[in-house]
Amino acid sequence: MSDLDDFKATYFDECSELMNELEEQFAAIEGGERDADRLNAVFRAIHSIKGGAGAFGFSGLVGFAHAYETLLDYVRDGRVEMTDDVVSLCIRANDIVGDYINAAQSGEELAADYGQEEKQRFDAIARGQRGGDEDEWSGEIIEEFDIEFTPVRVELAVDDGDVVEAVEAPVAAEPDTFDAPPMPVEPGHWEVRFTPYRQLYSRANDPLLLFRELAALGEINVRAILTDIPALSDFEPFGVYCSWEISLFAPDLTESAIREVFEFVDGDCSIEVVPLGHVVPPAAAPAPAPVAVVQPAKADENLMALTEDEVAAAPVRLVAEAPSAPVAAEPVAEEPALSFADLANEISASAPPRPVPQAAAPKPAAAPKPAAGGEGGEEGGNRAVGVQSIRVDLDKVDRVVNMVSELVITQSMLTQQMDENLRARYTELVRGLEVLAQTTRGLQDSVMAIRAQPVKSVFSRMPRLVRELATKTGKKIKLETIGENTEIDKTVIEQLSDPLTHMIRNSADHGIEDPEKRKSRGKSEIGTIRLSAEQAGGNILIIVEDDGNGINRERVLQLARDKGLVAPDITPTDEQIDQLIFAPGFSTADAVSDISGRGVGMDVVLSNIKKIGGSVHVRSWTGKGSRVTLRLPLTLAVLDVMLVKVGESPYVVPLSSIVETMQCSGAIFERVPSGGQVLQVRGEYVQVIDVAQRFGMHSNKAPDDRFVVLCESEGSQKVALVVDDIIGQQQVVIKSLEENFEQVEGIAGGTILGDGNVALIVDVQGLRVHQIHQNAA
Amino acid sequence: MEALSLREDNGDKTAVVGQNTLQLIAFSIGEQTYGVEITTVREIRAWNGATPLPNTRDFVRGVINLRGTIVPIFDLRARFGDGQTSPTKNHVVVVMSVGDKWVGILVDAVSDILTVSREDIHNVPEGNAIDTELLNGIITHDSRMVGLIDLHAVVNGAKLDG
Repeated sequence: MSDLDDFKATYFDECSELMNELEEQFAAIEGGERDADRLNAVFRAIHSIKGGAGAFGFSGLVGFAHAYETLLDYVRDGRVEMTDDVVSLCIRANDIVGDYINAAQSGEELAADYGQEEKQRFDAIARGQRGGDEDEWSGEIIEEFDIEFTPVRVELAVDDGDVVEAVEAPVAAEPDTFDAPPMPVEPGHWEVRFTPYRQLYSRANDPLLLFRELAALGEINVRAILTDIPALSDFEPFGVYCSWEISLFAPDLTESAIREVFEFVDGDCSIEVVPLGHVVPPAAAPAPAPVAVVQPAKADENLMALTEDEVAAAPVRLVAEAPSAPVAAEPVAEEPALSFADLANEISASAPPRPVPQAAAPKPAAAPKPAAGGEGGEEGGNRAVGVQSIRVDLDKVDRVVNMVSELVITQSMLTQQMDENLRARYTELVRGLEVLAQTTRGLQDSVMAIRAQPVKSVFSRMPRLVRELATKTGKKIKLETIGENTEIDKTVIEQLSDPLTHMIRNSADHGIEDPEKRKSRGKSEIGTIRLSAEQAGGNILIIVEDDGNGINRERVLQLARDKGLVAPDITPTDEQIDQLIFAPGFSTADAVSDISGRGVGMDVVLSNIKKIGGSVHVRSWTGKGSRVTLRLPLTLAVLDVMLVKVGESPYVVPLSSIVETMQCSGAIFERVPSGGQVLQVRGEYVQVIDVAQRFGMHSNKAPDDRFVVLCESEGSQKVALVVDDIIGQQQVVIKSLEENFEQVEGIAGGTILGDGNVALIVDVQGLRVHQIHQNAA
Repeated sequence: MEALSLREDNGDKTAVVGQNTLQLIAFSIGEQTYGVEITTVREIRAWNGATPLPNTRDFVRGVINLRGTIVPIFDLRARFGDGQTSPTKNHVVVVMSVGDKWVGILVDAVSDILTVSREDIHNVPEGNAIDTELLNGIITHDSRMVGLIDLHAVVNGAKLDG
């Protein structure tokens, strides 16, 4: 039971990956990249989803995916054109598949006719295309999973070299057809060369199943080529050393239908499909006459040589029947072997070409060598075939990350302990510590890289959201994404989904205008939302822009006054008004729609982003659009900070937000009417926040002995924090206050210092926002 | 009643003391004795300072590092409205789990472990809002009154504007 649950969980994991892949492919397809690779990727994704769904009995999903797949297949064959209509139908279909998956995952029941409309449209498109088409037959094949077993004939060829040939007498077929494969130029004869790479079995593939599937297409004749089987000592038990040559006779069969059989082993083998009588390579063309009878002695020898390993190496279970079958044997001419050697060369360039006149009985010992050489080369080659990756439980990675974080802290604590005295006395120790510091940094970077993921995984959920919003609001909206390969820590990414959803909803609902309104303003009818990600120093910037209306400042201000957020006698700047939309419970929508307007949107954005140590800034241009910028830390685990003292307590300020520090004695303060202070820095006036005063603590230092930490908060607005002392820089691990307590205003979190005490992390932006509210109140 | 529901969660542990009895950790604030159910207590440690938390009520004494996690400390005396404790090394922090959070409360001393019968828990007399809000019940033990602390109530309302 729990095993099944595990499998299911894995399946759903895969599904979500596949759905992401689908989104991605269709984003490209929508953008006009309609090449075969993309279609194949889409097809594979749907096919995999369908396959798993079948295994777990999600029949609704299977049915829908099947219809979808059929359509895709037609598109792939070129029988249905990939028009915009078809693309949008497919995109809609992706959403439905997604819904089916979600329903299956949560155990909900979807309406029985869910997706029926689309399904019928698939059928309609497919049928409209099929009318009178002679290809109809092959279309049927794909639709009906024909498992009826047609006898498969497998030959295990032996020449005086290493080729064993075995023959099973087919029930239905004329032996002659097989014995003379190159019956020239009759349509419907295909020659398939199937050369698996070594790892075929380890990917859970079984050639036998492929042969059966081929057999369902028509009459087939399979021959195993054993030239590459190495000596027992060089034999890797789970490697594949055979390749197969299959002649297939089926009228009206297309090459793609044959290739489709090998869909799942794509990348694990090389497949060559040649219509006979056409482009047969010259070497293979004059194929031998009457098929070989296994010479008993030879066969024994081979059987001895192959024995159990052979069983593992070549799942030619059919072969087992071979001896009982009427076996014809005759030295198979060297040509086929040659052609396969050529084939092997294609796979692995490193394999030395086999000399042509090999009929003179290559010594058994000679055979393994090229094979072994080929093996090495092949493995090397295979590594490049796909990105090698492993699935690791995130918990395990997190444990490593946590431990590395603690290590970093310990290391920085150790370094702090080194005073001048010690440095002078223990130079070796100092050197060791320096190396340790470097290694720790490297270790930390590598560990973080493990957890880093492209933001694509979140971005790819957004196109669907935008489509739905567009449908619901009746607006025309286009989503552009930029920089989706930017990598951020997975934990940050997880926190991004909600804020992005809210921001995009907001843009779609409040920002983008109705098509008519846009037209009257001289804008394109289609509104654009641009979602972008970029790295800026130690931060990641996620930007949501729209070319809509911008923030209606009058309304915002009016509402803020109504709600008492802004006192009547205060006139905030435009920028301050824009930031007001982050206040809890704030909404400017005239009517609460089911999309947004309940006023829980933007403050969720702010609190989520703050929780992960980021900040939010909004800019708006009336009538032209708005831009919300999220500034996020690259990683959550370790933060570079400046340690300061406020009153008697240690506080830390994220280094990424600090512009400069100075002594108060050298700073120029000016008074402003509100009673507050501003700092003049190079002609610029900056708001001053006395942290001790703000936090209700007493500073017992003379004003001139204190320090100014000039910080940059979001949107190039600076703020000057006055602290009592600056202790130094270090790295800290962010600890949540909310885990055991709750969020505290002006505090972004806590951290544990080397001496075991807790230091609080100053929330620079939070202090500023608070200041605005306070001034306003 | 909080104490009852907590007891159900840990039913197997308290089973030893019988269905109808309850074990309490008793601690003192000034002359007064209070108790919390023993199963909620995680750790008892001497006061060793705390980092003050700004923008919180005066009964939040700050946060401490408890083996890598940050745990808030509540001053029970201040919570009862008797002004802040001036803690010394002899003061004690009782670390408890409240829901899924760990909190510490600062008390003068831990005095005893009491085993009491559930029937001996009396209701808090109506009248003073602070009493009924913060206490779950009153127990008489050795002719002393022991107030059964409602931890959820103690922890709530810590924010300055909350």
